Amino acid sequence: MRDIFSTFQRSDDPSDSNDDDYVTDGGVAGEHSERKPLGFLSRAKSGLNDRFGGDFVESMPFWVPPFLLMSLFVYGAIFWNLIISLTDHNGFLSEPDYSNLDFEMYVRAFNDPNVITAASNTFLLIVGFTLGTLLIGLLMAILIDRGIRFENTFRTIYLLPMSLSFVVTAQFWLWMYNYNNGVVNIVLGVVGVGPVDWLGNQTIVLWAVVFALLWQFSGYAMIVYLAGLRAIPDEIYEAARVDGASTAKMYWRVIIPQLKGATISASVVLMVFALKAFDFLYALVSGYRPPPGTDILATLMVRETYANTNWAYGSAIGIILFAMALLIIGPYLVYQFRRDNL
Amino acid sequence: MADNDNELTRRRFVYTSGAAGAMVGLAGCGGDGGGNGNGNGNGNGNGNGNGNGGGGNDRPLNLMHAFTGGDGAIAAEALFEAFREEYPDMEMDIEPIGGGGNQNLDTVVANRLSNNDPPSAFANWPGKNLEKYAGALGNVDDVWEENDFEDVHIQEAVDLHKRDGTYRATPMASHRLNNLFYNIEAVEEAGVDPESLDSLDALIDALDTVATETDRIPMTQAMSGTWTITQLWAAVMQGQEGYQPYMDFIEGNGSEDAVSSAFSTMKEILENYIGADSASLDLTASNGNIISGDAAFIHQGNWAAGAFRNAEDFEYEEDWGAVAFPGTSNMYCLHFNSWLFPANNPTPEKAKTWLEFVAKPKAQIAYGKNKGAIPTRTDVSMDEFGPYLQDVAEDFANVDHRPPSLQHGLAVTSEKMSALNTVISNQFTGPFNVDEATQGFLDAV
Repeated sequence: MRDIFSTFQRSDDPSDSNDDDYVTDGGVAGEHSERKPLGFLSRAKSGLNDRFGGDFVESMPFWVPPFLLMSLFVYGAIFWNLIISLTDHNGFLSEPDYSNLDFEMYVRAFNDPNVITAASNTFLLIVGFTLGTLLIGLLMAILIDRGIRFENTFRTIYLLPMSLSFVVTAQFWLWMYNYNNGVVNIVLGVVGVGPVDWLGNQTIVLWAVVFALLWQFSGYAMIVYLAGLRAIPDEIYEAARVDGASTAKMYWRVIIPQLKGATISASVVLMVFALKAFDFLYALVSGYRPPPGTDILATLMVRETYANTNWAYGSAIGIILFAMALLIIGPYLVYQFRRDNL
Repeated sequence: MADNDNELTRRRFVYTSGAAGAMVGLAGCGGDGGGNGNGNGNGNGNGNGNGNGGGGNDRPLNLMHAFTGGDGAIAAEALFEAFREEYPDMEMDIEPIGGGGNQNLDTVVANRLSNNDPPSAFANWPGKNLEKYAGALGNVDDVWEENDFEDVHIQEAVDLHKRDGTYRATPMASHRLNNLFYNIEAVEEAGVDPESLDSLDALIDALDTVATETDRIPMTQAMSGTWTITQLWAAVMQGQEGYQPYMDFIEGNGSEDAVSSAFSTMKEILENYIGADSASLDLTASNGNIISGDAAFIHQGNWAAGAFRNAEDFEYEEDWGAVAFPGTSNMYCLHFNSWLFPANNPTPEKAKTWLEFVAKPKAQIAYGKNKGAIPTRTDVSMDEFGPYLQDVAEDFANVDHRPPSLQHGLAVTSEKMSALNTVISNQFTGPFNVDEATQGFLDAV
């Protein structure tokens, strides 16, 4: 790789030949520029390097191709989607008409009770799922961190559901929630509760879905918290003990506050998973129309787009979903930036 | 020191690009100049490129369909086999896209059509469903004319395959929607005679008898999707209110009383006589309830007969029977499996050959007898079809009215159908809100 790289260097600027040893170090390059007169390319290069860091130009072959691909296929696509959402494009009659951009689709979306319901379901799903998963994950992490026997076995068992795809877990929970012979109702029946129509009762079904997702991802939260707990030095536990804190108090006052970083990174990942609940709902009913009461923006978007060929309207719903995701990710990025992690 | 500099610069870079991103976002919202140029350029480029490419005639016949499950797959194979016998030299590129009813097929077809890369033909519903493909479907008037298809089809079939006065598709097979299937052992145990059920009231009495006389579920209803409920509503509407009120409704002039009274009857059935696990029941499991005798009745399109036929030791008129849904014995609620012809066709001649083939007796027999559907032509010998389908074909030819199916594309556009299902999903999957559902239905069409 280095050979290819130095070939680049030479073709770029003949005067730079045989200086492989110095090119990675901005400081040395500066000295060296005093020795030789510089061509335009070299001057541009060192200007860019000064501006953006010592190896900006040299590292370009490595980051420019992925940067361009990402820009085009991810950010370009998002931008194009935004533009389409401003048109009135629907059906197969014509190409989108880009000459008349307005916010009509967004006005329609904000006045559409289905969008409002789907948005609030999406929100409830994200909040309920994330908080629940963090809580269960934290409890499991603390229990496992107490030095129990078979610690590794338990850790693996709890983490295992995460390795399953949504398609598998959806089918699995479809059977679990079966009214007549599902395990959930059989177990509840033993203690005299139910049977409950988990997937048919509109007030329950969303929480049934949240619970299924929670089951799948609490192992992940546990691993993140476990790593956080392991990073806390033993001395802190000992100090708390010496000061006379009970176990509960020690965790509540001393240990959990130190897990802030773990909480934040885990919750961002979990929220992103919650936004992807489309797969789960799709697999649950093998269709775009999830059980009544669980319609989220993602399923609504696909229905509007493909069942009704309302391309612009579907795009607008997609952008609303994207904005919700940004609202979640944005504060995290700011937080990380302030902590010098970016 | 150098590291420190780098760090700062990278941070500044992140910061700057974040700010730049926000700027671009804002610019995207406000300005339309940039969007214009790019968008139009792309659109035209795509269109031209593909259009030219499509001119060549050595491309294989590209067919898309959703006949992938059970008897559907067998029927499709028989159909393609029959075509290969007839046209051994024609190369075929068949893309089966199963899953979710027709949903996945619709998605792929929608993507192909909107990218200006249509298949040669795709299986779908005719009728109002054609509206969805407005502008994207070609003209097959010549196929109908040259083969005199009009002479061998009922008037409804002729009308439903036209859009804007032009033929867009040809029919291959038909299912009947207004059926009431029953498990003979179950109805005999309850002492109910299905043949005598001539109204919704009679049906409810019969369901009540099953509930009190046996331990079986009176009527099994797969409610994991909303489509079975919308479909049942159409049957109740036809059976209780009659043909004309149903037709008025789908044309947008529905009477509030009729719609509301159909919903009230539905409510009575769904609240009292279906299985407790209905919400998680899909069609396969629901049919299974009839086969096992756990349930006495089911309303379903007659594709259900395919499931019964495939079950072991479960014979027509010995173990299961079928009657028209109560109150609809003079009707055949239409469903068509048809092949649609995209405009800008990659292989127009081959595609027309295919559309011609599927509407001929050979194809209709090959597909229909395996799928459990009857031919759409009225001149096909029913000898190869079983006794059940012979009865269906007889009704098809002789009934007074053939209303189009609500849930299967013929009666309303797919957008309206989607809206109706949203109403069902929000208002009529338990709790059952008759007034809200009525208003929702009247608003949706």
